Amino acid sequence: MIEVRELERSYGEHLAVRGVSFEVARGEVVGFLGPNGAGKTTTMRILAGSLGASGGQATIGGLDVAEHPTEVKRRIGYLPEHPPLYGTMTVRDYLCFAARIKGVDDPASAADQTMQRVGLAGMGGRIISHLSKGFQQRVGLAQALVHDPDVLVLDEPTSGLDPAQRKEIRDLIRALAAGDRTVVLSTHVLPEVEEICERVIIIEQGLIVAEDRIDALASSRRKVRLQVGRPEPELTAALEAIDGVEQVEDTGGGRFELLASDDVRAAVARAAAPFDLLELQGRERLEDAYLRLTAGAPPDPRWRDDAEVQS
Amino acid sequence: MRNTIAIARRELRHYFSTPTGWLALCAFLVITGFFFVLELRWYTMESMDAAYSPYREPMDLGAHLIAPFFGEVSLILLMICPALSMRLFAEDRKQRSFELLLTSPVSTTEIVLGKYLGGMAFAGILVLSTLHYALLLFWVADPDPGLMASAYLSVLLLVGAFMAVGLLTSAMTESQVVALVLALVALLMFWVLAAVGMIGTGPVATAFAEASLFSHAEPLGRGVLRLRDLVYYATFIGVFLFATHQRVEGMRWG
Repeated sequence: MIEVRELERSYGEHLAVRGVSFEVARGEVVGFLGPNGAGKTTTMRILAGSLGASGGQATIGGLDVAEHPTEVKRRIGYLPEHPPLYGTMTVRDYLCFAARIKGVDDPASAADQTMQRVGLAGMGGRIISHLSKGFQQRVGLAQALVHDPDVLVLDEPTSGLDPAQRKEIRDLIRALAAGDRTVVLSTHVLPEVEEICERVIIIEQGLIVAEDRIDALASSRRKVRLQVGRPEPELTAALEAIDGVEQVEDTGGGRFELLASDDVRAAVARAAAPFDLLELQGRERLEDAYLRLTAGAPPDPRWRDDAEVQS
Repeated sequence: MRNTIAIARRELRHYFSTPTGWLALCAFLVITGFFFVLELRWYTMESMDAAYSPYREPMDLGAHLIAPFFGEVSLILLMICPALSMRLFAEDRKQRSFELLLTSPVSTTEIVLGKYLGGMAFAGILVLSTLHYALLLFWVADPDPGLMASAYLSVLLLVGAFMAVGLLTSAMTESQVVALVLALVALLMFWVLAAVGMIGTGPVATAFAEASLFSHAEPLGRGVLRLRDLVYYATFIGVFLFATHQRVEGMRWG
């Protein structure tokens, strides 16, 4: 459905996107991850047609974004990080306007249906600037959906929302992704990606550094976390002695992190049991894979906070 | 065309949903009312003077009341139009709502024309709000309807040019204040060109007069309809709309 080949985009001397290539199949829900300034928004804006590419090619449903912008825009719904809202309009007027310029034949009924779909029923007469951030985000999502596009591109749709609002939007996206709609989702909230997406594309400094199913990506190297009641020096030695364990790190408070080349959970449990084993986690989280793949980039504090709220 | 009309309608409605539009309308009515009363008072006094003086020519309603009044209306609109046009692109870009237009199946030409026509529709409402002065004159006197229509055409063409300049300056920046100042400076320059053209002599003064917006409105205000003036305004507006189109197109690459 989406095919990106050697996509490039420069801002003056700075090359923000450097030969990015990926594919997204019809009906797939893909997470587009990367640190701030990695080129995610630039890539998404090129796909949505609001930004031109300096090089390469992007196609949606076989149509080149640069050569057939009007046709492509009819098939794509885009929610930027800051929802493109007209604060002085009512929700219904805004959605009718969005439907009209997106070529919908019956804008009024499309607006009503979309309001129903995103949980804005009964709010059509409200002025957009008077709505809470969560509802404004829903209005933003509604404008992306009002023409019933095949492809939905969402750039940090839960950014700046409180945990309850985030859950509402997340549930909404999951519902929208059902069927054969293709969704590309960019977010800093990694548990959100694990929950919604099947596959992730990780971009770093304008280049794709990983592209795989979440399971495959997260388990490519084993990371085991454990917590014991009695963190004695003998435990570290016992853990290091386990076959396959490459590294043992004492993170304090009785918590240890192990990096292993194989599945060492059973051996670790046996070794830690005499030291009052309290907790054992044996699967690398997306967060670990993300940090490993984007190592060297300055960590973004936002997703860490968000991840803690989510977990 | 459907998209152009949708964008124009949204822009027009925006003026009535914010205090700016109502404020502009009120200010325009108060100021034009003040100048109309001033001109009418002067015309009445001069007419009486002329009636009792054997040495004076009788006063002409068109030349001594309608033309000067519409000249003043044009100057008031020169000040007001940049305040109307400043938000057309700058506000959209600042509030990030412009992304909706850029990601919708709407061409740059439709965006530029829609915004221009929306702004023009509101400016046109301002101009038409002076119709009651014209009706008053028709009620108490016998003005030339052709001259009156020509005077309105001159104001509408000037407003069209003012809004085209304002549209371009609004597309050049995200700051509405900067857009306002740029438009005012540009329009005042065209006004100064007219003044230099009027007081000067020789080919330079003629060139200045030809380039000025106001020199081409003056014959229309007197009821003289010349094709060259209409072509001038069409070209002027066309050039500024084209420049705005190029600027908006450039935003996809900026």
